[in-house]
Amino acid sequence: MKISSSKNRGYTLLSILFLLGTWKVASMLIGSELILPAPEQTALSVGELFLEQDFIRIVSATIVRGLLGFAISFLLAIILGTWAGISAPFHAFLQPILVTIRSTPVISLILLALIWFDVGQVPVFIAILTMFPFICTNIAEGIRNLDPKLIVMARIYRVPTRRILKDIYLPGISPFIFSGVSSAMGFGWRAIIIGEVLSQPQYGIGTFMQNAQTYLLVDKVIAWTVIAIVLSYLFDQLIQLIEKYSLTWKYHQP
Amino acid sequence: MSISLRHIDKAFNQMVIYRDFSMNIPDKRISCILGPSGCGKTSLLNMIGGILPQDHGSIEGAKEKQFSFIFHEPRLLPWKSIRKNLELVLDNQPIANKNQLIDRYLRVVGLEHFADYYPGQLSGGMKQRVAIARAFSYPSDTILMDEPLQTLDPRLKWNLMKTFLKIWNKDKRTVVFVTHDVDEALVLGEEIFVFSQPPVQIKHQFTNTLSEQDKNNENQKFFDLKNSIINILD
Repeated sequence: MKISSSKNRGYTLLSILFLLGTWKVASMLIGSELILPAPEQTALSVGELFLEQDFIRIVSATIVRGLLGFAISFLLAIILGTWAGISAPFHAFLQPILVTIRSTPVISLILLALIWFDVGQVPVFIAILTMFPFICTNIAEGIRNLDPKLIVMARIYRVPTRRILKDIYLPGISPFIFSGVSSAMGFGWRAIIIGEVLSQPQYGIGTFMQNAQTYLLVDKVIAWTVIAIVLSYLFDQLIQLIEKYSLTWKYHQP
Repeated sequence: MSISLRHIDKAFNQMVIYRDFSMNIPDKRISCILGPSGCGKTSLLNMIGGILPQDHGSIEGAKEKQFSFIFHEPRLLPWKSIRKNLELVLDNQPIANKNQLIDRYLRVVGLEHFADYYPGQLSGGMKQRVAIARAFSYPSDTILMDEPLQTLDPRLKWNLMKTFLKIWNKDKRTVVFVTHDVDEALVLGEEIFVFSQPPVQIKHQFTNTLSEQDKNNENQKFFDLKNSIINILD
């Protein structure tokens, strides 16, 4: 799993420095703040965003959409994913639907959603359609991958069904759930922001990104992007933390 | 009441494994079923244990029995510590002090210091010891064993057989032990049943009279008996 040694941490730092360096050089070559501001200027713009009166409101609006979309996808995925994991016919039935959803360009979904829904609902709808297939597929795979021999063992030893569910099924599929949630979140945040850019709800990172773009405020567009990256990163870290905490046994493999 | 199989038929697709098969499993003894691979030994255990239905016939005395099973592989939950693995099968059982019982059996198999380890941290032999401890800590009257020693190297295997006999001598339950290895059969088995290729018949049945001291590969009696059984098997 992801246990980075101090040596690898050095490379991580190097990679960040490389990104910043490239950015700096590019901005110097272009020589115009209006087209590509330097990293340090962008850092200032990010700072300014924090001071903006509605900053918390804007960011939390995006977060709430993300969490709402996630909660709905997760719930749906638990139900349908479990069903597909247990029943091969339902798995076969669900598969083409999931593939279709996953292969549809996000932008088509947004364009349709704009016609069908209120602006506030569009990003949530997009988030659900983006996240649901990942989590659902993973839960189904988790259940299908569960070793039936363990269940037979538990049945022979007359372990009560509630404990079979809690102590065999749940831990057995958790690694799959975590990997599903992790990919879902990664794609989810991006989809929500695209949704916000196009649907323009009153608050939201995407809305303000679009506003900045309209006035050609490149530093602001990049500053909001940085906020979006940090947001996505923080949630990824949070998931990893929970995963590490609940999958202790995984770290005890030889 | 001992378990007895009466006129069992069992087929998989067109392949007939058992046809009008009957046998008696004596109580509180170690019955060893010795037979070639693929002769349906595992199916027999599964039918006795009630996880595989027979096509015809009856298995008497099995319904009221409580079974422990030592499988071919350890079948431990990788996400639970050794202690929790044992605790899981004791969940529904009327046992006053489960932790004490678990400690006792882990001590018998020499793993008292590993109670809080995860299965992934133990070797194959150690995991199979845990499976033995699980089988004995569970309040069963019958222990079914499906070639649990097959994947272990010979030295470990002999060790584990000795451990098993040590525990069993203090806590005599009915044991049905299935193997295709003559050494294992002669060391563990009291009543030995030699099975044929399917449809299965009992080719030979005898009571093992080897003493503890005789049970090693250098002993002449052991060696002669082993050769005569290999002849029957072929």
